[in-house]
Amino acid sequence: MQLSLQGIIPVPLAEKVNAYQSGMWKNNRTFNKGEYVFIQAPSGTGKTTLIHILYGLRKDYTGDAKWNNISLANTDNETLAGLRTNSVSVIFQDLRLFPELTAWENVDLKRRLTNTVSEQQANEWLTRLGLNEKKNSMGATLSYGEQQRVAIVRALVQPFEWLLMDEPFSHLDHANTQKAINLIGEVVKQHGAGMILADLDENNFFAYTQTVIL
Amino acid sequence: MLLRTQHKSRLWAALAALTIGTTLLLLSVMIWWSFSELLYGKKQNDAMGSTYLVVGKRVTEQNMGQKNATIFTAQDIDSLGHAAQVQDVGVITSNHFPVYAMMGGRLAFATDLPLECVPDNFIDKMPAEWKWEPGNLNLPIIVSSQFLDIYNYVFAPSQGLPQLSEGSVKSLALNLKVGEGDRAETFSAHVVGFSDRIGSVLAPKSFIDYGNQKFGKAGVAEAPSQLIIKAKDPSDTKFGDYLVRHDYTTNSQNLRWSKIRAIVEVVTTATGILALLLMGIGTLVFILFIELTIARAQHALTLLLQIGYGPHYLSRFMIQRFLPIVLGTVIFSMAITIAGQAAASIAAQGQGLVLPMFPGWPVWAALVISTGILVLLVTKSISGAIKK
Repeated sequence: MQLSLQGIIPVPLAEKVNAYQSGMWKNNRTFNKGEYVFIQAPSGTGKTTLIHILYGLRKDYTGDAKWNNISLANTDNETLAGLRTNSVSVIFQDLRLFPELTAWENVDLKRRLTNTVSEQQANEWLTRLGLNEKKNSMGATLSYGEQQRVAIVRALVQPFEWLLMDEPFSHLDHANTQKAINLIGEVVKQHGAGMILADLDENNFFAYTQTVIL
Repeated sequence: MLLRTQHKSRLWAALAALTIGTTLLLLSVMIWWSFSELLYGKKQNDAMGSTYLVVGKRVTEQNMGQKNATIFTAQDIDSLGHAAQVQDVGVITSNHFPVYAMMGGRLAFATDLPLECVPDNFIDKMPAEWKWEPGNLNLPIIVSSQFLDIYNYVFAPSQGLPQLSEGSVKSLALNLKVGEGDRAETFSAHVVGFSDRIGSVLAPKSFIDYGNQKFGKAGVAEAPSQLIIKAKDPSDTKFGDYLVRHDYTTNSQNLRWSKIRAIVEVVTTATGILALLLMGIGTLVFILFIELTIARAQHALTLLLQIGYGPHYLSRFMIQRFLPIVLGTVIFSMAITIAGQAAASIAAQGQGLVLPMFPGWPVWAALVISTGILVLLVTKSISGAIKK
């Protein structure tokens, strides 16, 4: 699956984009299957907006964002749901876990949609990220770092061609970041998928094929 | 998770509203149907459901004294049979031979007695003794209950005579002398029943036919001058107009009963409309509750949509949670209605009426239609709210 952006200008950022003539906004970009893309940008320049546009959550922009030939701005929620279940997964910056569900329930809620990852595998991934003792803890009682790890596992328990990540390691220490990078790398490779990682600073977490500076 | 935001008290209130509305609707259809059954349905309930009227041609200044002026022709009878509300027409045949009644003892009297006969299916309650064959000297007769009333409340008090119950009248024997001269025959007549429909004395048709044939006066018209009709609703203006147009007379008391029956129907219909209104309100309350529940779960729904759950899946999930509640309510309401029908049937039995133990098809139709509408509204409101 190919992700493409054609002359995108998000409405809330229109003034900024016009002022700075950003390298990302307004221009055409294409991300091909299997690419590892790093989007580097300081706060407030629209990393999260871009991830949301690419995931089909935001439609308040001019230009066109596409998954293959599907224009995201004109796609209904049912089609988007199908694509989000089988083709594109995401780790939100604000995580978007269910605080009233346990760590395991949060992961399982996503896993059950396709059942392509076994319960055992999902449990193993939680354990690998150091959450073995926290599986039955309510989301609301987990630390932000723990929640971030739950969100990472949740993003991996589905089939995908693209993994979108918005500052996924922002609250993890070095050891946990490394564990998460390893896990993500393995699973993405397993799927033959591409990834787009948006972060503040330059990093070498993955072997990027494209770096975009907003 | 989506339903955790439900307030139990609100759920119970919504359920109560829906249950009351549905139950009242089904009960009102059941009541309406039961009345219809009693009024127009089974043959056993004819006495209540239909009105029996004796119809004659009006005697006026113009036709007074004219031969055959008040006689019903076959064409008249056929036309009346097709008139609005008329279910059946019976010929009242009167005797064309002299009948002289006598009784001895304290109640001694002697009088000319006119006799009539009607088809058996027009008799209020068919007495077991209601049969006569030539050669039988015992004659069963049915007397108008008005006669007994007049005797008990007018004649007996004024003459110092004892009042008589129906039972005691039935035990009396009346000597009837039929015919004239040497050919006259004597019969022992017994009252075997009382009629609210006929204002005279009835004898079996076989006896009237026998008497008319054997003792009838030559030249007397055999065509009837009175008919008895079974009418569904004589208060219908079309029926009234027919009688006026043909200058027929009838006993207006029965028409008044019909009006009372019409009032009952109006009340039943009004109850039905009120029940429909209440069910509408109940449904509205329940749907508002569903929409409130969905609105309160909006955050969770949005998150689910964002992680890949489609609107159809979420709608289906919510529908699967709410439909059993709706269906449970409908089943509960139907159970109450069935119990109500059984109770009504037992009560009707006590009154000598026949009402089925189970609700009839209109109640089931109302159940199917109301359930269908409820399911449709609940499904639509859930899908609509989730789409929003």
